[in-house]
Amino acid sequence: MTETMTSGTPTRSHTSQHRRSRFVRQARTLAPRHVVLIVTALITAFPFYSMVIISLQPGQAIVMPESLFPDAFSLDAFYEALGSRDIPRWAFNSTIYSVVSTVLVLLFASMAGYAFAKKKFAGRELIFWVFIAMLMIPYHLTIIPQYILVGDLGGLDTMWGMLIPTLANAQAMFLMRQFIHGIPDEILDAAKIDGAGEFRIYASIILPQTKPIMATLATFVFLWHWNDFLWPMISQQSSENYVLTVGLNTLQEEQSPLATVMAAAVISFIPTFLVFILLQRYFVRGVMMSGLK
Amino acid sequence: MTTLTRSDQERSTAPPPREPNRRKPWWRSSEAIAAYIFIGPMVVLFGLFRVWPAVYGIVLSFGDYTLRRTFSFVGVDHYVRLFQDPIFWDSLRVTFTFAAIQMPLAMIVSLAMAQLCNRVMRGMAVYRSIFFLPTVTSSVLIALVFMWIFSGAGPVNALLDVVGVEPVGWLTERFWVLPTLAILSVWSSFGYNMLILLAGMLAIPQEYYEAAQIDGANSWQRFTQITLPNLKPAIFFVLVIETIKSLQTFDTIFVMTGGGPARGSYTLTFMIFDQGFGYFDFGYASAAGVVLLLITLVLSLIQRKLVGKND
Repeated sequence: MTETMTSGTPTRSHTSQHRRSRFVRQARTLAPRHVVLIVTALITAFPFYSMVIISLQPGQAIVMPESLFPDAFSLDAFYEALGSRDIPRWAFNSTIYSVVSTVLVLLFASMAGYAFAKKKFAGRELIFWVFIAMLMIPYHLTIIPQYILVGDLGGLDTMWGMLIPTLANAQAMFLMRQFIHGIPDEILDAAKIDGAGEFRIYASIILPQTKPIMATLATFVFLWHWNDFLWPMISQQSSENYVLTVGLNTLQEEQSPLATVMAAAVISFIPTFLVFILLQRYFVRGVMMSGLK
Repeated sequence: MTTLTRSDQERSTAPPPREPNRRKPWWRSSEAIAAYIFIGPMVVLFGLFRVWPAVYGIVLSFGDYTLRRTFSFVGVDHYVRLFQDPIFWDSLRVTFTFAAIQMPLAMIVSLAMAQLCNRVMRGMAVYRSIFFLPTVTSSVLIALVFMWIFSGAGPVNALLDVVGVEPVGWLTERFWVLPTLAILSVWSSFGYNMLILLAGMLAIPQEYYEAAQIDGANSWQRFTQITLPNLKPAIFFVLVIETIKSLQTFDTIFVMTGGGPARGSYTLTFMIFDQGFGYFDFGYASAAGVVLLLITLVLSLIQRKLVGKND
């Protein structure tokens, strides 16, 4: 600091230099943390990196690439994957399964959340208690009866048979109820005085107010459906009805070339990655909400 | 929940805006009818696809379901058979061994990473994004990539080769399969747990640390004396979700090992799937499912008791 004073530098560069020296000092104390964080980040990112590298291998090699920093890349595996009969079809099914479920889950969860938060009706406590109790039941116990039920309804190996059972999303309903509970009653009363009907209130007051929680839930529900595996695998028999996760496993079981499997994996990863990168703050908010009870 | 009702009742005794509606019984008021319409779809879906399967799952464990869609009651036969079945005891052993490896590992890594990230630093957002990425990735994709990473000629063995260690059959040797799956599980979920713990850490008042520093506590003492006790609710929350997750791990096992080698990763959930959809023995699989339900209930009761005592 005395150095800058004696050399008579103008105040602006003085502060910037001061800032820089503080940054250097800070960097020095934080350097060990950064080293550990960088190493952890590299380990975390490595599987993603290797997935991409293998998918870009030239030829139809089944073996691992010679080096993790190959000098030759090719999009052969992607042409192969996108030109196949199955993979685009699976991607389409995954999209329908995820998008339609997300829209319907948000609709039903917000409707029920509104009723639980703002309405008084007989059996409210009992129904709510049953919803909570069901969270304790392991999914693996209920999946067999669910399979029998969907079979009896004629829904096995159909899109609706796969989709409809996943709409009973209690967690989404709880978060909605919690959020709608925080909307002031005065707004609803004012709308009532103005003569708005029940559905008008829901559509033009409740729904717009719930935008933040809707975005968070949409991120979660989309990712959950996009990544879902067990139920789509059990409920769908013919390969044209598979979603990407089930298809990926089939490719691996059929011992398709590793590059093709990884190219399909990359294709299935792109929407996840985009949703996560674009809507990260909503995802983070969702985790925080589940953690801070 | 009770406080909620009370406040609602108080609200309804406040100056009523619509006098005529008061006289009608509540269930005929337009408000109640609207409420039933609003919860209707959710209640129907929930009853059909959650409540009924849960009840029928327990019923199934006491009977046989044939492919001709008939149910016959067999009493506790499935449970008797279960308790005499070495495969069942083996699956319990595998399930608890996996949890015993995975849980401490997950807690230590998540806590250490949360402590490391609990500091305003340049580039923190980038680190955090990278750490969260595995938590949003499909378990099938993770399983496929890790199958290659832990394969005979994969990068892990290549690294060992550099150090001069013999290659290990991470997924093909009975001894290594559960630790390998545990490492994968920690890799894929530490970002999520870290975030919950971090939120808990940020809620601890800074004054506590300042006071401790004045008293001459070193950083380890500050961590054990201030961070850990104040973090208890967040730690228990992570423990509960990790317990359920480790008991119910299925996708990665299904894709990577198929329960093998030699039933080395044949967990209870895998047994339910295998008996149910491999042998179509729905009744027997459901009995195993009820055991999983009981284990889950007992563990969450224990955890609730621990939280209740400490909170």
